[in-house]
Amino acid sequence: MFRFLLRAVAIVALLFLALQLVRKPLPRPPVTADFQAPPEVKQILKKSCYGCHSNETKLAWFDLPVPAYWIVRDHVLEARARINFSEIGKLPAAQQRGALFECVMQVSRGAMPIPAYVSFHPEAKVSEQDLTVLKNYLSSISPAPPTTSDDTGAEQYQKWLATGNELSKPAAAPNGIAFPSDYKNWKPISSTDRFDNNTIRQILANDVAIKAIAENQINPWPDGATFAKIAWLAQTGSDGVIRPGPFFQVEFMIRDKQKYANTLGWGWARWRGAELKPYGKDANFVDECVGCHRPLSDTNYVFTEPIRGQQ
Amino acid sequence: MTRPTSMKPAKMRSRLTQSSAVLALLSYALISGCSSGSRVAPLVATVNESASLSAASASALPANPLRWSIITSFIDPKNSTMSTLYGNDIAVQHARANSKHDYPPGSHIALVTWTRRDDPRYFGARIPDQIKSIEFVFVTELPGETKFRHEKFEGNPLAKTQSDESATPSPDAAALLNLRAAVLP
Repeated sequence: MFRFLLRAVAIVALLFLALQLVRKPLPRPPVTADFQAPPEVKQILKKSCYGCHSNETKLAWFDLPVPAYWIVRDHVLEARARINFSEIGKLPAAQQRGALFECVMQVSRGAMPIPAYVSFHPEAKVSEQDLTVLKNYLSSISPAPPTTSDDTGAEQYQKWLATGNELSKPAAAPNGIAFPSDYKNWKPISSTDRFDNNTIRQILANDVAIKAIAENQINPWPDGATFAKIAWLAQTGSDGVIRPGPFFQVEFMIRDKQKYANTLGWGWARWRGAELKPYGKDANFVDECVGCHRPLSDTNYVFTEPIRGQQ
Repeated sequence: MTRPTSMKPAKMRSRLTQSSAVLALLSYALISGCSSGSRVAPLVATVNESASLSAASASALPANPLRWSIITSFIDPKNSTMSTLYGNDIAVQHARANSKHDYPPGSHIALVTWTRRDDPRYFGARIPDQIKSIEFVFVTELPGETKFRHEKFEGNPLAKTQSDESATPSPDAAALLNLRAAVLP
């Protein structure tokens, strides 16, 4: 018996050693466009985010043995692909700001840093105080929508009237979802004032969703429930009122827990600009949708708190 | 207790299964739990009750604009409010087809104004908090005569604070009628 155990341990040990040779390198490309922010903000990002979301990855000793190394390597590469603070400086300021707003949402929901990562790297934990520093910084760099006497949406509006509200015949989204052109007559269930990116938004819901709201069956939402979130670029008039300028995009969430089981039980699609260009190079664009909505598991991945009373 | 020198294979398997289960549980707890997940208060999947129309408010109104479709919306930072202009089918059809704001008889439009609050689900957004006022314009036609009735409701619950009717829109009514439809392609 003892000999059997000894042999088993030896085999496992050998296997473990042999596996150590199976490792692809984790590249550390040069820092080309590091994120620029005040030191107190930068320090939080460095301690809590840079471990994976930068080219400055430093692996701890316990990250090195396989299979831990495989997991860590995968995580780091995925993290860099989503947001890389060593290269983010290349993006337009508004896009950098948008990314940071999403970071704050992920941290607020406890989704980032990944809890497993914090277990092994307790120093990466973002405290309430850190979160306040990040929020204050973001508020300070979010300008009000530009004040303009020019009516930037006028031309698009005239064209929209002239074409009978059909600025274009949109192609299907890369994941095959067709444009739900009847969304315009769905009922409003909320609106948002998005000071993070200077848009005005309306959220409309189809009849299935409206019925679910009336019956308070919204967690989970029933199959067929569909939302349209419309965004217009905000513009401030000389009277200080912020109005919708040009149409910017419309995005949809279509509930079908079986059909869309791989994407949180929702189908995702977005069309952008007056020409209603389908968003995304290929069907993988949904990773972006899912990545941002995943922390909302408590609310069936829905950001909108619907207003009741449409029935 | 004597140390088992020879264990029956079945018993041994069960021991092994037990200990690996314990090990698995321990590593799971280490990896997924303890530290962080519980730090964040869960979100509540609720309707935005405060921004909804209460039964008391609804009973004071001549119509429920939340059943209508959207014409446009705007935000007033000075008053910290956000407003949505709704219209019935006739009004919406007209607003989405004409740059003139000469709504035909039978058109009903309503401007619902909410105070706003920070969105608990997304830092960077503000959402409707409480209904502050609802203003209606009804375009009606008596034989040979178009009339514009303007009614305003304020307070909690909503109560009528203003009402007028005339052959030409009052300034308050005109302010609503002149809002341009938001582009919905």
